[in-house]
Amino acid sequence: MTVAAITVPTVTHALSQDENLVEKVSVRNLDFFYGDHRALKSISVPLYHGKVTAFIGPSGCGKSTLLRVLNRMYDLYPNQRATGHVTLDNANILSPSQDLNLLRAKVGMVFQKPTPFPMTIFENIAFGIRLYEKMSKSELEDRVRHALERAALWDEVKDKLGANGLSLSGGQQQRLCIARTVAVRPEVILFDEPCSALDPISTAKIEELIDDLKDDYTIAIVTHNMQQAARVSDFTAFMYLGELVEFGETTRIFTTPNDRRTQDYITGRFG
Amino acid sequence: MISSSPLYAKRRRRNAVTMALAYGATGLGLSWLVVILAVLVWEGVSGLSLAVFTEMTPPPGSAGGLLNPIAGSLVMTVIAVLIGTPLGILAGTYMAEYGRFDKLTTVVRFINDILLSAPSIVIGLFIYEVMVAQMGHFSGWAGAVSLAVIVVPVVVRTTEDMLLLVPDSLREAAASIGLPRSLMIQRVAYRAARAGMITGVLLAVARISGETAPLLFTALNNQFWSLNLNAPVSSLPVVIFQFALSPYKDWQSLAWTGALIITFAVLFLSIVARILAAQRKTS
Amino acid sequence: MQSGRQPVVDVALQGTGSLTVSQVDRAKVLQRLRLGDVAFRHLTRAAALLVLVILGGIIVSLIWGSLPALRAFGLSFLYEEVWNPVTEKFGAIAPIYGTVVTSLIAMLIAVPVGLFIALFLTELCPMWLRRPIGIAIELLAGIPSIIYGIWGLFVFAPFLQQHVQPFLISLFGDIPVFSTLFAGPPYGIGVFTAGLILAIMVLPFITSISRDVFEAVPPVLKEAAYGLGCTTWEVVRYVVLPYARVGVIGGIMLGLGRALGETMAVTFVIGNAHRISGSLLAPGTTISATIANEFTEAVGDLYTSALIALGLILFLITFIVLAIARLLLLRLNARVGG
Repeated sequence: MTVAAITVPTVTHALSQDENLVEKVSVRNLDFFYGDHRALKSISVPLYHGKVTAFIGPSGCGKSTLLRVLNRMYDLYPNQRATGHVTLDNANILSPSQDLNLLRAKVGMVFQKPTPFPMTIFENIAFGIRLYEKMSKSELEDRVRHALERAALWDEVKDKLGANGLSLSGGQQQRLCIARTVAVRPEVILFDEPCSALDPISTAKIEELIDDLKDDYTIAIVTHNMQQAARVSDFTAFMYLGELVEFGETTRIFTTPNDRRTQDYITGRFG
Repeated sequence: MISSSPLYAKRRRRNAVTMALAYGATGLGLSWLVVILAVLVWEGVSGLSLAVFTEMTPPPGSAGGLLNPIAGSLVMTVIAVLIGTPLGILAGTYMAEYGRFDKLTTVVRFINDILLSAPSIVIGLFIYEVMVAQMGHFSGWAGAVSLAVIVVPVVVRTTEDMLLLVPDSLREAAASIGLPRSLMIQRVAYRAARAGMITGVLLAVARISGETAPLLFTALNNQFWSLNLNAPVSSLPVVIFQFALSPYKDWQSLAWTGALIITFAVLFLSIVARILAAQRKTS
Repeated sequence: MQSGRQPVVDVALQGTGSLTVSQVDRAKVLQRLRLGDVAFRHLTRAAALLVLVILGGIIVSLIWGSLPALRAFGLSFLYEEVWNPVTEKFGAIAPIYGTVVTSLIAMLIAVPVGLFIALFLTELCPMWLRRPIGIAIELLAGIPSIIYGIWGLFVFAPFLQQHVQPFLISLFGDIPVFSTLFAGPPYGIGVFTAGLILAIMVLPFITSISRDVFEAVPPVLKEAAYGLGCTTWEVVRYVVLPYARVGVIGGIMLGLGRALGETMAVTFVIGNAHRISGSLLAPGTTISATIANEFTEAVGDLYTSALIALGLILFLITFIVLAIARLLLLRLNARVGG
């Protein structure tokens, strides 16, 4: 059981001259296996607080797999395992003694397909809050409202909090899922291709949302849409066939990549 | 020309014959249903009156009703459902959630499916051995337990099937906010599978409503009004069995009426279960 | 670290102080929930094991109860015809024979009829009629067996006695084997009648399973055959049936398992005579009918034990049949990938 105690930001990278970067999550030499098949090969990458890190790469390169290691979602399935180090606030979350539910409360995830619970809109959010905290009805209502405002959904649903979560449109459902994730006060939010099932207008809203959220969280986003990565992220990691090919500030990756493969992917030589 | 060859004619004839057989078979099957239901209504309705539901089973030669067997059946059915449903749901939950890739689950599923179709009279013998023989007397509890043993496999099957239909993405979403496994199952998976699980319970109730054999030597029968489950308890199927095989006309008439009541209860439950299943499909 | 951009103050993060507090609270809550979490998992596992325990319990209790009879009669129990409660001599051949023959008659009738109905439902029936007819057939399955019993006793048996059986007796009167099989007198009740009623009861099972496997045949296969100019019957015989063969056999075995164990419907119309006679029209008995009729009046441990031994034999037969049926259906699912 770990209790975090961040008070002093420690700078571990000096990639940018005039910013103090806090490395919230450190991935070091991560290997991942589906059975005997090695899907991730010695991945090392940092995730910085207050920044959005995008993971791009062709299908099957392992970016979703990597994301799912960060909240140990793979633990739900047999035959999948990870070796190496992934530290969150100086604790190795891969260790068997790591409390999974505590980890997942700290590291939230928004999935590709919007998955509201089969409950009312209010309940969808309140559910997670109530799990951890006892509070009065009015306090709960406040928290739900804040979460929905944070997800830019409050105005659209404030009059129908009792409606079923599944009655919302796709884009609204996804924002509901974001509100649900934010409501339990995570420190890291993982977005796994959050817009791939949505129309362009909803996509734009969610990108705006991510921009809004990033100051208070550590955000990682997996996307197959390079333009989205360029719009939304501060740092980008390019992955290919289970390896981390290149990592750096987004502007640099997209203008002057160091690796040939990165260049080929970005210019569309392969997809 | 092919169409005028004798071979072609033979093929066409054969086809016509078999198609006629198919129509005939369907007609036959449907007509059985019609005949049985028609006779049931014809014979049973004439005896149907308020007295059936308010008076007790009479000695031969006098008028009466079916109050005590109906009450006994209701009580034992409710207890059977109360015992069997939680057990079935829990077992089905293990098979679909915790033990989904388990060897144990494969074995349990196989055995469960066999128990589903096992002769119910054998279940009656089983409960006789473990309850009636041990307790020294017949009892309503034994009857209820034997019905519960029939309920469990039905509920296990539907629970597992319904839970397996719940998409994994929903489970992952619940896990991603830190929900412990048991709460995720109880608050999210059960809720998503709720309609299907209720359907399963309804089907189980429909199944045990008409079961006679397991009650024959567990709950036995009781001529008088008694809800004492520690003693023999009357039940509708057993009373029908006794009255129908008797030589007394009024008893036989009551047997038909009782049969009508059971059949329509079963059909009603099946229809409700079907409606629920259809609603689930559209949502 | 707060952003000055957003209009709403983020309740989630208001300085590092509350961050630590909320995490400690969370840890405490999860610790509390952990016990229930583990307990629930063990509970579900125990419930799953219970299913196995039930099966084990059935087998053990049946064997235990049959021991006296098995010890007294040994293997002769399986082939002796005598059934005398007074002298306490019991032999199971008559009930076993009745069980097997009634089920056989039931299958001989229900299988072709069921297959043809499945054919009708998948190839000939107009779409709007399919569900209603399918539901009607399933309603047949839902009717409790005791209903079949009294209907059989009061309606079907007299009907057979008056109109069908005399006809059969005279029809086969001169033909060598059949004249014994269908020898009079026309009792109405008897092995043949019981077989017919069982056929009606088993029909819906065979029909639904066959219909399901017929429907699972990929349309392209059928279209290919139609495209060659095959008649409907030829498509069914050469494409659908072979493809669906495993499933159909599984369904048949399931129906057989049901027929073997059926009690109430058979008890009413079989006549309850503990003997094997040459004629199908004569009364007889089955294992389940014997147990149902005699158990509550059985006096003496040997009598009761003999009846339980009958139950054991029945359970073993049905267990084997049902296990084969399930294995076949499993193999079918594995092949189709369903």
